[in-house]
Formats: sequence, C-alpha cells, structure tokens
Amino acid sequence: MSSAEKGTLRMGERRIDELKNLIYQCNRCGQCLDFATIGQANKCPAFEGGLFESYAARGKYNIARALVDGVIDYDMDLAERVFACNECRACAQDCFKYLDTTGMFTALKEDLAQLGLIPPNLKEALEGGMGLDETHNVYGAPHGERLAWLQDRARVDVPAETAIFVGCSSAYVRQNMAVDTVGALERLGVDYTVLSDEWCCGHPYMAAGQIDKAREVLEHTISQYVDLGVKRLVFNCPGCLKTFKHDAPEILGKALPFEPMHLLELMAYLADQGKVQFKPISPKITITYHDSCTMGRWLDIYEAPRILLKHISGVALTEMPRNRGNAYCCGAGGLIRYDYTDISNRAGNERFQEAVATGADVLMTSCPACLVQFQQTRSRNRSRMKIMDITQIIWEQLAVPGEG
Amino acid sequence: MSQLFEQLVDVCAPERVSDKLPDRICYTRDAGPSPGGIPGYVVRPTTPQEVSGVLEVANAHRTPVFIWGRSTTFIGLGIQDGCILMALDMMDKIIEMDFDNKVIAVEPGTVWHAVDVELNKFGWELAVPGPGGMFSCTIGGSVAYNAVPHALAEYGMTGNHVIGLEVVLPDGQIINTGSGANEAAGHLHFERYANGPDLTGLFVGSYGVFGIITKIYFRIRRVPDMEAYAFYGFDHFEQAVDAAHAIQRQAAATHMVGLFGGPKPANYDAHDAFLHIVVRDSRVAAQERIRVTEAVCESFGGYRLDNNATRLYWEGHMYSWLRNTPPDHYYGNRPFMCPEVAGFMPTDKVKDAIAFLRNDALEHADEWAKYDIRTKCNDVYFSSNAAFIWIDTLYPEMDEEAWQYGLALRSRYTEELCRRYMSPGGILQAVAPEVMTKLGAGFDFIKFLKRSLDPNFILNPGVMHLEPEASHV
Repeated sequence: MSSAEKGTLRMGERRIDELKNLIYQCNRCGQCLDFATIGQANKCPAFEGGLFESYAARGKYNIARALVDGVIDYDMDLAERVFACNECRACAQDCFKYLDTTGMFTALKEDLAQLGLIPPNLKEALEGGMGLDETHNVYGAPHGERLAWLQDRARVDVPAETAIFVGCSSAYVRQNMAVDTVGALERLGVDYTVLSDEWCCGHPYMAAGQIDKAREVLEHTISQYVDLGVKRLVFNCPGCLKTFKHDAPEILGKALPFEPMHLLELMAYLADQGKVQFKPISPKITITYHDSCTMGRWLDIYEAPRILLKHISGVALTEMPRNRGNAYCCGAGGLIRYDYTDISNRAGNERFQEAVATGADVLMTSCPACLVQFQQTRSRNRSRMKIMDITQIIWEQLAVPGEG
Repeated sequence: MSQLFEQLVDVCAPERVSDKLPDRICYTRDAGPSPGGIPGYVVRPTTPQEVSGVLEVANAHRTPVFIWGRSTTFIGLGIQDGCILMALDMMDKIIEMDFDNKVIAVEPGTVWHAVDVELNKFGWELAVPGPGGMFSCTIGGSVAYNAVPHALAEYGMTGNHVIGLEVVLPDGQIINTGSGANEAAGHLHFERYANGPDLTGLFVGSYGVFGIITKIYFRIRRVPDMEAYAFYGFDHFEQAVDAAHAIQRQAAATHMVGLFGGPKPANYDAHDAFLHIVVRDSRVAAQERIRVTEAVCESFGGYRLDNNATRLYWEGHMYSWLRNTPPDHYYGNRPFMCPEVAGFMPTDKVKDAIAFLRNDALEHADEWAKYDIRTKCNDVYFSSNAAFIWIDTLYPEMDEEAWQYGLALRSRYTEELCRRYMSPGGILQAVAPEVMTKLGAGFDFIKFLKRSLDPNFILNPGVMHLEPEASHV
C-alpha cells in the first residue's frame, strides 16, 4: 500500500516539494490582494468570499511554505482553501515577482487529489455514477447526446483542415452557442468537421488536480483530429481553448499538431480583412463587455471582441471600471460552484452589479461559464439586463460579402 | 470550541473568526525575514465597536492581540503563538472626500495607492505620495508605522499629514483626537493641533501599542501641474552627498534619492554614486527648481544622465527603475529575502555611514561569499534637513545558516549605526532591542505610557521592546 493510499504523502512524494524554490520567492508584498492601481477594488474572489488570506495567493504561498517546511500537513480544511480558487489569475497578473501562482495551486491540487482530498461535490461530478469519468462531460448527460443539437451530420468525423471543438457547455446546456458557432462557419464557407466522440477537454480534471486523467482525455481527442488532418481547431469556450493551448503541450510534453484558436480571433481577423461584415443593429444598443478570466488573463485576448463589436453599426461599447487585465472574475471559474456556491455567488453579484452600474443594455461575454453564471445572477437579482454570449451577436449580425 | 473563540464569534460573527490552522498560518509574519508565532485565532472586525469588543474579550482572557493591516513591513511583527490576530483590512471604506476642507476620511484597511487613485479621478491626491509598499499597504498601517514616503524632501513624513484619528484604546474605549475630540461639536476633524496636547502624535508611529486606529483623517491637495526630473552620476559618493546637502539648503527638490551601493544603474558603471531628483510644482516653478538642482549637481562634478529612469521610477513607483532596469530585475528570480536596516541620520553623516558599510562588506567578504550575501542597495532618501538610509542586503532564505547570518547582520548594523547617529523610522519588533535600549529616560516614559494605557499588555506586546515587567505578569 502506497503512502497516498494510507492517507499521507511523504516529503519527496509530493509535487509541492518540487516547487520549494518557487514558493520561497514569494516576498509577501500583498499585490495579489487588490486591484489598487485602479482604485479601491476587489481582486481575488476567493479571498473576498472566503474572508481569510488562506484563500488568496499570498496565503496559499504561506500555506505551501508551511507544507514544505513541515509545519502543516494536507487536510480537508486546507483542501477547501485550495479548491475554492476561481483560477482567475488576477493574482499572477500583478505579482511583483512574476510568479506562476496558478501553477503552484495546481501542484497543491495534485497532492490533494493523490490523497483523495477533493471536495465532495466536485468528486461526485468527476467520479460519480454519471460523472465525467463515465459520460465524458461535466453535466451528467449521456455521451451519445453530445451532438444532439446538430441537425445536419454531414460534417461529422470528416477530413477537414478546420475542426470545431464544441465543448461540454455548448453541447449540453447552452446549445445555441454550438448552433451559432457552426452557423457562422457555414456562412463563411469554411470547410470544417466536428467529432462524434469528442470528450470533455480535460479542464475539470486539471481543476481537480487529476493530471493523468486530463492527459488521457486530451490524447483521446487529439488523436482523432490528427487522423482527420485538422490544421486549425476553433473553440467558442475559452476554458477549453486554454486547456488545449496552455495545458496540453505541458502535460503531453509536446506541441499540438494543429493551431488552436477562439472563434473571435478568427472572426476579428476576417472582419479586419474585409472578408466578413456585420448588419447594423437597430435600435441601437449599449453593450458592456466582460473579459472572462480565461479569455483575458490566460489567453491574452482582449481586443478581438472589442474589434468585432466596433464593426457592428448600432453598438455602443461602454467599459466597466475593471476591464481587460483588471476584470473581476464572474465567480464561475475553477469549477468552484460545485462546492463553494457562496463564494461563487458573491463574486457573481459583485461583477453583475458593476455591469448594471454602467447603464448598458447588454452584458456580453465570450465564455459559456460566465454566461451561465450571469444568467443565474440576473435571476437572483430580478434584473432585466440582457445577457449574451458574443457568438450570438456574431451569428445574428453576420453578413458575408457577395451573399445576397 | 473554546470560550474565547465563542466570545470572539459573538463580537465579530462566525464567518469572520477562524481557529483553523490553514487560516492562522497565513498571519504569522510580515514581508521580512523575521519568524513569527502562529496565532490562535484570526478575527476580521468591520467596525470600531467590534474592535472594541475584541479588546474587551482579550483583556478578560489576558490574551495578546496583534494588529494586521496588510503586513508589508520588513522588520518583524513579533506575533506570538496563541494570540488573537486582528486583521483590519475589511475596514476599507473611503468615508468622505472633503475637497472644501482638504481632508479625506478613511478606514484603516484602505490601500494607500487605491485611495490616491480615487482622489486622482477628481484631480486631487493624498498630501504625501506614499511608501514603497503603496500598492498593497494600508493607510492605517502606514500611519501607525509612520511610514517613510516618497517625496520626503518636500512633504515630510506620513504622520505630518494626519489631521486626526479615531482610536480604540486597549481597554476598548473609543476616542477622537485633535479638533475631532470635540464631542459637543460632533467630532469635526479639520485641525490636528486643537483641544490640548497632540494626541494624534501619540498614535502616529507607535505601531499600535497604545491603541488601534479605526479612522484616519488625512490631508489632501491638488495634483501639481508639473513633474520634472534630473539624474546625475558622480565619481565619488562624497560629491553626491555634498550635492544633495546643497539642494536641501535651497529646498529645490521634492524628492531626492541617492544610490550609494548595490548594483549600479545599467550602462553607468563608470560612476560611483548617483542622485535621482524629482520636482513637483507649478510649471514655471518646477522648471526653475529643476534647473537649480542641475546647476548644483554640476557644480559638485555631477554628470547629467538620461532622466528617463527617474521618470519611470516616479511614475511607475518601481524601485527597479532607479537602476535603469525593468521591474523584474529588482529582486531577480531567486528566493532571496531582505533583512532591511533603515533609519534617519544627519545629512553630513551619510558619508561616514557609506564608508562604514563599504568597509564592513570588504572586511567580511569571506563570510558574504560563504553565505551568498549581496547588497541590493544602500539608498538614501533625503528629507528637507536630514537623510533616511535604506541598507538592503539580500540573503538566500532557504539556507538556514545564511538566514541566521542575515538576521545577525541586521542586528549588528542597527547596533553600530544607532550607537553613532542613526535613529530608525520603523522599529516594530525585530530591531527593537537594539534601538529602544538606547533611549534611556525616553524609553522609560514610553514604558510608563504603555503600562498606563495597557496594563494587561494586550496590544502588540513585545513590539518596541515593550514587554510586561515581572510585577505585571
């Protein structure tokens, strides 16, 4: 029986011990705690919701240091602080020492996962009867229904240079995003394919510290794209894109054999080339755009959505005080809604109120997790503000030159 | 669950009190290398009444309370095992910006730079630009510490600009200072030196040993029209000190930093020492004042250098630019920590201090090499009439022997320089034995005040070397 099976991990068996050099580099300056450069503004949703520094990056560095120094050991209290993180990466953005904060958090999660110290609801979503292990999606829906939204199956599993990675959210719970994405590529005449046996991108496994499982699902999906000759993989979910673009090369130890990109990047490029146009919107609407953490701080895609919206006549863009790299998390990231709903809701409310205060008609995002979070937050707030994913406006307003 | 824990929960609400180890372990030490104990409880009050309630509970249980703003100091908080750690960073509201009376009222947990940014939106700023940790340090902490700010030369210390305070005394009483003490008038804070002795001054720079600051009334002013910069290199550090002294006499600089050790600014290896000068004023006055500083520097043999480094340092608040390098060069990507020694001295003593530091590093070169000790900087902020030196050595904190050497080095430098002419600004706990024991009757009076205000030694015991005497234990 290994020490992990006995409920302990010895020094040297733990991932965290490999990072001692990094952990000691934190100089506890506290710049990970607030967005002070833009005024008195919250930065870390976990800290604001959890209320103690143990939930924030500086605290987790203190905890990690206490772990490698043998002052503290892993337990469920510690696990709660680690798994309540939204992975919004705001802490890393302003780190005085440019530390890879979230990389260190992942190491903590890996050790906790080894010890079986995963929060109960997340564990159930992964390993339960209709969990991710079984159904390959995080919504407990049958795998066979993954393409239920797709009317025309002609492009399923066919060789093509472009493929669409549908992702669990648009496959099961926000299917209009999948329809809109496919529709936009159809209108542009892009030759594409989708997989009938697409699995979850693996992000939930990463969030749970189960790196081996993430590797397995990535290998499963990537091998199919290779067989179909895919050169470009298009995403409408920044979380899935981030998993492929950032995590996959690291955990697979090799570069991807195709280029991953967000639908918005493709569209903004085509719009600037004059290859797509957009119908004007009437009556005029004011949109405030929420930079999802993954789209922004992880993928550094801030301008593409704004460029697209500027191409649509009748759209006025108004920014929230915290925008681009300073955007506050919607509270849905890191899969924390499974176990830390209060922290998630608190952040969602704060960000939603910030959007409402702009006076915009529409709160727009480009991430299905943010979309769902804001829709639920709107319901709780009994607000009439319209919530949209940007793929919707792209699809609705798209006008291809030469098309009648 | 202990009775003490239950009583803290009664005061502060359950979600703002923790006795869980992963929470407590995060509140043991500041940004410096001094170790600290693990608190027994962490509480996050949101009102002065809750602060008062926590102190009453602490007194009843004879349990020490340590105060936490954002803990960005470098010289040790002295946190004791089992104490109550009171984190004030949830008290983070800007209460009022009163542009008519040029005062802002804030809670202690507001972040310095954040408040400045809020004022900037209206063309105003805090009356002094803030200390090195301005991006994360709290205003309450900066006042309690009387932090040395940027622009020391013209604006003086943080404490100079405090108009009044609301303070919770160790026994839980809440008082106001200055004009704000006038209860009959509704605690109007507009003048510090009113209604008797300067009680504000008692709490400024006392590190929370006499009371807990729960509101700060701070002077604000219009953002000046112009900022002008000068950057000079010198063949000998004595010339740079002489130039700084002359500029002080002419009151020409708003901010003046001398670089007398550590890495030289990139591309300027030929020079021995450097002066960065910032002037803030109306357009005409700023141009005239910067011309004066340039003339003075050149009269002492200074070489005019590209002042873009000065501008970047000032506008970005990044020390790295003092050495003409981008921000990630400041510490480098190594696990090094800094046992800072810092204090005021007469300007003409800077020459002696720099010579001492340089000679000492040579004399102990073997030990420095053995423990991989480096000089991050020997920088000096010049005030209107004196100098504040920052002696920053770096040591590899993961090496236990080097760490001990670093702490010992800090003690030795503090001891040596205080015996000659230095008076530290920040004392807190780690260097308090070296500093306070040199104050004679002055320290006796501070101890008398402590005993009178805090007979149970509840608040920050050990800070400023204020331990309960045997008769009080």
